Amino acid sequence: MNESIELSEILPIIAPIIVIQLILMVIALILCAKAEKTRGPKWVWVLIIIFVNLVGPIAFFIAGRRSD
Amino acid sequence: MSSTALRQKSSTEGKASISSSFSRYIVMVEKELLELVRSFKLLWVPLVFILLGIMQPVTTYYMPVILMQTGGLPEGTVIEMPMPLGAEVLAQTLQQFSTIGILVLVLVCMGTVSSERNSGAASLILVKPISVLAFIGSKWTAMLILTWGSLSTGYLASWYYTGLLIGTVPFAKMASSLLVYGLWLTFVITVTILFSSLLRSPAAAAFCAIGGTLALSLLISLFPKALGWSPGALSGFASQAVVSEITNSGRFGLAIVVTVISIAVFVLISSAVLKRSSTVD
Repeated sequence: MNESIELSEILPIIAPIIVIQLILMVIALILCAKAEKTRGPKWVWVLIIIFVNLVGPIAFFIAGRRSD
Repeated sequence: MSSTALRQKSSTEGKASISSSFSRYIVMVEKELLELVRSFKLLWVPLVFILLGIMQPVTTYYMPVILMQTGGLPEGTVIEMPMPLGAEVLAQTLQQFSTIGILVLVLVCMGTVSSERNSGAASLILVKPISVLAFIGSKWTAMLILTWGSLSTGYLASWYYTGLLIGTVPFAKMASSLLVYGLWLTFVITVTILFSSLLRSPAAAAFCAIGGTLALSLLISLFPKALGWSPGALSGFASQAVVSEITNSGRFGLAIVVTVISIAVFVLISSAVLKRSSTVD
């Protein structure tokens, strides 16, 4: 059974997933930078957005910004 | 003082002409859409749905490899896994939408009415000659565009990937299940807007909406025959539509009629609630 993963075979399938996650991350970072107030310190949010995959940006979009 | 005078004036003007109130409604919808664009919601919610949709066929396709890499299996283990049919993968995608997708949509939608009431924006707008129904209706329409747009792009992406990796599914089957599932999501959004106008706190509204839809789905899985006509059965019908044929067409038709009627009633109730409470304010 030949289960060796060939990168050239996987990359076109995985690439859209990575690109979408990158776009989400960039939007979240831009909004985080522009936000006047965030719930909790801003640098924590930046770390969450960058290091928690997919859930991090979504969590910031929903709960991160404080509107007044 | 002046606001009550304006309100009385607006109520007499409200009967003026249907066309002008309709054009006001269109303007309100445009404002809501602009708000969705400005907050990037019209971008990130569809992206999340596309990601959810793509993940399902890809993880199904690579499941043997993933198990080999991460499972810590002994050397030489042969994993024989039957590759599911394409339609089954699409049904699993719908399950992903039912959990994470609904959570995201409800959380996005939870503050539509209540946060504007809390900040006072709602009473500022409603002082102008705009009917409460147009106010609620514009928010409902904008959320509907967001919901259907996200669902269709995500489901189409999933359909495309499933066809690429696992097996093709006829477009008509996919489209019919998309329509049925979209109706269910519309119901969920309407319930969220209803709770958002009933309750002051967005978090409480989201909690009630998610709890309500969860309870509905749970009741349906417990009593499928007795409650097969209720809106909650629609997600099951959507999976049926893509995997096979819809078996119980009588119950299915009833479920659609009940859902459409309850959506209309909920929109009317939320505007009635808002009308009463905003005049008290």
